[in-house]
Amino acid sequence: MATLKIINLHAEVEGIEILRGVDLEIKGGQTHAIMGPNGTGKSTLASVVMGHPKYTVTEGEILLDGKNVLEMSVDERSRAGLFLGMQAPSEVPGVTNSDFIKTAMNARLEEGKNISLFKFIREYDRAVEDLKMSEDLPHRYLNQGFSGGEKKRNEILQMKMLKPSIAILDEIDSGLDVDALKIVGENVTAMKNKDLGLLLITHYQRLLEYIEADFVHVMMKGKIVKSGDISLMKKIDQDGYDWIKEELGIDDERVFVKEEEQKVMLGTCATKEALDL
Amino acid sequence: MKMQYQKQANIKKKEISEIERLSEGLEDYIVLQDGHIVTKKVSSAFDDLMILTYDEALQSYPALFNELVNVKHPSSDAYQYNFDECNSGLLLYLPKKKRISKPLHIFYVATTEEFTHNTFLYLEQESELNYFEHLFSDAVGSYSYVSNAIVHEAANLTYGALSNLGKDVASYVYRNASVDRYGISKYSLADVGDAIQLMYQTINLNGEYASGTSKTIAITSGVQEARYETLLEHNALYSEGYIEHYGVANNESALIFEGIGQINKGMKQSIARQQNHGIVLGEKARLDANPLLLIDEYDVIASHGAAIGKIDDDELYYLMSRGLTEKAAQRLIINGFLSPVMSLLETDTLKNMFLKRVEEKTL
Ligand SMILES: Nc1ncnc2c1ncn2[C@@H]1O[C@H](COP(=O)(O)OP(=O)(O)OP(=O)(O)O)[C@@H](O)[C@H]1O
Ligand SMILES: [Mg+2]
Repeated sequence: MATLKIINLHAEVEGIEILRGVDLEIKGGQTHAIMGPNGTGKSTLASVVMGHPKYTVTEGEILLDGKNVLEMSVDERSRAGLFLGMQAPSEVPGVTNSDFIKTAMNARLEEGKNISLFKFIREYDRAVEDLKMSEDLPHRYLNQGFSGGEKKRNEILQMKMLKPSIAILDEIDSGLDVDALKIVGENVTAMKNKDLGLLLITHYQRLLEYIEADFVHVMMKGKIVKSGDISLMKKIDQDGYDWIKEELGIDDERVFVKEEEQKVMLGTCATKEALDL
Repeated sequence: MKMQYQKQANIKKKEISEIERLSEGLEDYIVLQDGHIVTKKVSSAFDDLMILTYDEALQSYPALFNELVNVKHPSSDAYQYNFDECNSGLLLYLPKKKRISKPLHIFYVATTEEFTHNTFLYLEQESELNYFEHLFSDAVGSYSYVSNAIVHEAANLTYGALSNLGKDVASYVYRNASVDRYGISKYSLADVGDAIQLMYQTINLNGEYASGTSKTIAITSGVQEARYETLLEHNALYSEGYIEHYGVANNESALIFEGIGQINKGMKQSIARQQNHGIVLGEKARLDANPLLLIDEYDVIASHGAAIGKIDDDELYYLMSRGLTEKAAQRLIINGFLSPVMSLLETDTLKNMFLKRVEEKTL
């Protein structure tokens, strides 16, 4: 049973600190949900766990079953069992969906060993059917020209094929219509087992109607500021975040105020120094 | 034309085994070494196609030969020089309405220090030919290769080329097509060699509704320098010309694409399109694409574009996040980028040869 431990995680991008001390533990069999207003560091947390090269970890630890994740390259993390369903997956022209997944599955085997083509096709076709995607999907280029919803479904399809032990799904529900949300939700729920730890990043309660969450966390200013169970999510859905901000004395929940906005503020009292900035 | 033929040299063991390997699985192919046909394995599908070395053509069909080669050459000194000086020549003549859709592979082998080859493709009205050439040499020397295609009314030429010339070769390749009314010529050229390379392609669209496509894929590595120029000239109304360049430049190599779509005055309703795609792999590599439209007419459709840059970091990250090593991810992206040529390589042997060379050159 896998355990992902995130301890006092600080990370920055281009010199700006975005994660400011995240603590979180996800065990196999558990489902966690992270909510929070825009720009509070949710996707950044997911990217840092996966190892996106843009982010620098300045403090803290990430451990997967006790192993230091921060020392692993992105691909090693994946092979160790981590999976990130991305908020905005890339389009890769020329690379077909099936070639990609086949290569990814082979990368998990010993050097020189390959998955049987027959087995692969059968499994892939079944996943395509489960997610009600179009039959020509295997031959289409990876996410190229896919609608927002198709991209999200393709992320879940990849998860199905790769069978991770810890999966982070970043806004897997955005861009999905009601039917697609149901399909995605049911597929994720079907994958649940005592060995899979799930972290859902979402803005809406409706996702949790299909995927039950055991823990709900709220992120603001680059850290988890509140945790609870599903009732927390229900309250946020009804009342928004203001009450949490009030409770915790937070003015602006975002990690940092965008430069343009700062410029506008400076512009209103435009002194020579301000303009020189 | 002075034809200075070599006595049939003993073909080198190494080259024989290389051809044997590459031709594996091909149904129809010819090996031409220093101007002599040394292997001809061609099925009855090609019975209508006249296949002659210049030597044979001069001896057996002097009248036809003179008539054919006296058609207007493209006004290029280089072409004329090559024609005058060639020490290897091949004539392919397809009569009216004869259509052969199976591809014919020709392996051109040079064992001499100077190889000056000339291929003449002559397609009479409404005929159809699918021609695929393989240029390779490990020799030290200069390699000059010219092909000229005459595509008559409503004839259809599909022309593929795979070139893999060694690093000690300086090569000059010139391919020209003249296309009549409703004629089609479609060139797909792939270069995975290490030679210093100059390649020119011109397609002259001389009749109404004539159509020409030229697709070039090239990978440079080491300190290699290569330049590919493509000119599609519209000399008729309603003619269509398409240019596509795909390049990967590795290490300290320099790769240059020049594409010109030229629509002359009065050639209304013509279409000229051009695309350039490039991946710069090496920190010190150079990849330039200079698309040019020379248009002297208003009533036309024309477009051009160039997308050149490094492999996208986010694409790489995305693939790696599914467990692919950086190398494997890069390989997948590059192979995907080059996929437009893969479909042309008929056999697994050729596909594998291509992929192996791509891998060696993009490491
Ligand atoms: N690569 C980057 N370069 C510059 N700024 C970044 C980068 N990644 C994140 N940020 C900034 O960090 C902050 C947090 O971004 P993040 O994407 O983690 O927010 P989020 O909580 O996922 O928001 P949303 O709910 O809108 O998806 C934002 O202000 C964002 O602009
Ligand atoms: Mg986000």
